[in-house]
Amino acid sequence: MAILRKLVSGLKVLFRSGTAEKELDEELTDYFEEAVAAKVRAGAAPEQARREVTMEMGNMDSVKHEVRSVGWEFSIETLLRDVHYGLRMIRKSPAFASLSILAIAIGIGANTAIFSLVYGILLSPLPYPDSKRLVAVGLHERGEDTPHAMGVADFLAWRDQQQSFEHVAVFSAGYGSFDLSGLGTPETIPGVSVSADFFSTLGVSPMLGRGFLPGEDRPQSPPVAVISEEFWRNHLGSDPNVLNRSITLDGRPYTIVGVMPAQFRFPASKPLDVWTVRAFAPPVARPPYGLRAFGHLKPGVTVQAAKAELDACAARITQQYPNSPELVSTMVPLKQWMVQNVSTALLVLLGAISLVLLIAIVNVANLLLARASVRRGEIALRVALGASRWRIVRQLLTESVLLSSLGGILGLLLAYFSLRAFLAFGPGNMPRLEDVGINGAVLIFTCAICVGSGIVFGLAPALEASRGSVHDPLKAEKGNLSSQAARRTHNALIVSEVALALLLMIGSGLLIRSFLRLRDVDPGFRTDHLLTAVIALPRSYDKPPEIRAFWKEFLAKVEAMPGVSAAGISMSLPPNHLAITNPFTVEGQGYDRNRKLQLAEEMAVSPDYFRALGIPLVRGRWFTESDKVEQDNDPMIVVINETMAKQYFKGQDPVGKRLQTGDPDPKARWETIIGVVGDVKYQGLDAAPEPTLYVPYNENGWTLWSRGMYLVVRTPMEPQSVVPGLRAQLASMNKDMPLARVQTMDQLIEDSVVQEKFRTWLVSGFATIALLLAVIGIYAVISYGVAQQTREIGVRMALGASAADVLKMVLSHGLRLAAAGVALGLIGALAVTRILRSMLFSTSSTDFMSFVLTSVVLLAVALLACYIPALRATKVDPIVALRYE
Amino acid sequence: MPEKTAGLVQGTLDMLILKTLALEPMHGYGISLRIEQISKGVFQVNAGSLFPAFRRLERNGLVASEWRPTENNRRAKYYRLTELGRKKLKAETREWQTQTAAIARILEA
Repeated sequence: MAILRKLVSGLKVLFRSGTAEKELDEELTDYFEEAVAAKVRAGAAPEQARREVTMEMGNMDSVKHEVRSVGWEFSIETLLRDVHYGLRMIRKSPAFASLSILAIAIGIGANTAIFSLVYGILLSPLPYPDSKRLVAVGLHERGEDTPHAMGVADFLAWRDQQQSFEHVAVFSAGYGSFDLSGLGTPETIPGVSVSADFFSTLGVSPMLGRGFLPGEDRPQSPPVAVISEEFWRNHLGSDPNVLNRSITLDGRPYTIVGVMPAQFRFPASKPLDVWTVRAFAPPVARPPYGLRAFGHLKPGVTVQAAKAELDACAARITQQYPNSPELVSTMVPLKQWMVQNVSTALLVLLGAISLVLLIAIVNVANLLLARASVRRGEIALRVALGASRWRIVRQLLTESVLLSSLGGILGLLLAYFSLRAFLAFGPGNMPRLEDVGINGAVLIFTCAICVGSGIVFGLAPALEASRGSVHDPLKAEKGNLSSQAARRTHNALIVSEVALALLLMIGSGLLIRSFLRLRDVDPGFRTDHLLTAVIALPRSYDKPPEIRAFWKEFLAKVEAMPGVSAAGISMSLPPNHLAITNPFTVEGQGYDRNRKLQLAEEMAVSPDYFRALGIPLVRGRWFTESDKVEQDNDPMIVVINETMAKQYFKGQDPVGKRLQTGDPDPKARWETIIGVVGDVKYQGLDAAPEPTLYVPYNENGWTLWSRGMYLVVRTPMEPQSVVPGLRAQLASMNKDMPLARVQTMDQLIEDSVVQEKFRTWLVSGFATIALLLAVIGIYAVISYGVAQQTREIGVRMALGASAADVLKMVLSHGLRLAAAGVALGLIGALAVTRILRSMLFSTSSTDFMSFVLTSVVLLAVALLACYIPALRATKVDPIVALRYE
Repeated sequence: MPEKTAGLVQGTLDMLILKTLALEPMHGYGISLRIEQISKGVFQVNAGSLFPAFRRLERNGLVASEWRPTENNRRAKYYRLTELGRKKLKAETREWQTQTAAIARILEA
């Protein structure tokens, strides 16, 4: 009640301050008149009475001031007055103001943009109800710690037995695409197949229709699909009667049961068009491990309990499949699992950009400090007129927060546009980009850093300006305004600025070096003049002979095309599209179940795949069309890579040796090695070489795996020029089959490093801004110093110092500062760059060249920045300089 | 222009104003005159402390004000005690009496 009353009367004064002021005037006048009247009545002459009352009442203005300062609104009025005054100061020195505002705008803008990424991706909760209890679940061999995919046997047993989760669900780990036909030109759309509980586990429901029903993932259930709002709009014309319509995916009709709202794209980073229910037939073996699992924990159930339950369940499955390895579970928050690949990079970017802001702050602090010395006269006058030191500091801080807020507003605009540019042109393969935007949390962050940086860069100059006695500055002559302490602060600021800039430059140097090394990695084949695409045979091709016949005819047709020198197909594609790995056992090795599984990248390929990619043959031979492998009892043959030859056949010729694939099993069939080829990167350019096994795609056991294959076509011409011919050949064989994901190999390589490229660019950009700001800072301080020292320089020259001496004096001052900054920066970098380690490819986090080169560059640029004011110092005319006296 | 306020204890002025207003509503000069008269000139209240005190009391809801014509036909701001002010005065008076009595006993002991 009392607070409300104070609030209301304060507001009244604020908004009707004219009236309140008038009333106070009137009241005081009335008091004056009454007092005079009383004195007159007591016998004084009117003139005398007036004089006496004036003496007694004292200064009317100070009375009014006392009255005004009773309420809280007084501090607001003071603030408004300070802001008004601050704006006037800013208008009076536009060059200083615009420079500071620009520096702050860049710092705050970039910080806001990066923070909105960090907030949207890392900090904000997933947009699902109760999302804290969503966990990603995986099974893996003991000793690893990242969630791995699970197999159907494990999932079905877990789903039916577990008590810890409200719901559990899986989606295919290799989620990717479906071939859509029957709606115009056949095309490939992004989608994923999931278990029936997928939507209920997330707690989301479609905007139209329904999600999947329990049991719809049983083998005999009719196939159903949920589509995205975008697909509904673009492919089905937002048909209001879309439910129960049928679409053909991979040659099979699906009934549409729901439409998901726009923005929903789990589990992918890019928009998905369709979710289909996956039918789980009772498994015949434990592998393949192709399902990503997640669950919604029941309230009160701990992750440990849920883990123990799944471990027990997995142990029972291990007993059912005695050849399979022992598997244990991992559970991490679903959000963490989704963002694990980008979190380090994002935090490093945030760290880097906050360094840029710090440098900007230091710069502005330096400018303010220089102005503070100039303004000491003005401030001394205010102190002499009765302002307290706190009042002066407050006034100056208001000015600096005003500067930073103006910078912040500009920065917010900057952030808005750079964020839009990022979402449009940046790497689109980052998770949760749909949750990124300038929202309330981001605005609070921006306001906080605005006010924070205003206070930080304003504090030192404000204290400096309000320091010292009233008399000194008032009587001090021009040219001697800068105090020793101020100069020390200047120097300290420059040193820290240089150190911060060097830190960023070293970081970007490391990233650049690492990126160049990544780009120089030999992928193991010739990447130029190579076209790649994906072709998936519909389910109507369900017998091995049909599939073999299709590929044989198609590859023959393509190789006969003019401009095609070789064409092949493969299940996996470099540089980072590995489909499966498989355990293997080399003959004579034994079957120890406790031995750590030795895995090889395994893929079915056509004979000309090696020639098309340009993979070198090291020993033995490639597959040929005449190899007899299509019957069940035909001998099995494989080609291995050099890494496998080196690791498992040291000092021997592997050709003619035998091995088995799959879980260790003495009864498995033997496969004979017929050739050794060069290593190819299938798991990313930065991955270490792994053993690789190639098998013929037309081998009986592999043919059914060969329905969806990567096509590689080598051509002496521009790769894209063969696309129309390829499409025509494909259409001549089946008009419903799309030629999907057509890209040149060079594009694929480029795409595989786009995130590395992007963050390298970004950090380098930050480092450049930092260098620029640091250089401007050095230049400004040295110029200012020279201007302040004009008299001293004049005296020296009058006493016989040469221009060279003066040049040396100024340069060495600047260089000393820069060198101190570099030393500090190097120490800081040694301590800090290790956080980059996980982002560096075959580059040490203390890479000597990066450290030395950036230091040299920084020192050189700093020297250059000092040279101009130094040159100006040599032009000082002793006569003119001394005349200042 | 510092006037002697004859050692007015901090906060006492507020109490004196409240006491003065307990009899009848008054305007600013009237209040200062009354305090001076009743205290037989011991307390001289200057405008610099009187008006901030009015503002303070008004903010705290202890007094209310209104504009009224005076006897010599000018407009003046009259302050009057509110119910809250009356209670406050009672409490303050009691507090003051216990305190002064205690101090007096100590000084006479």
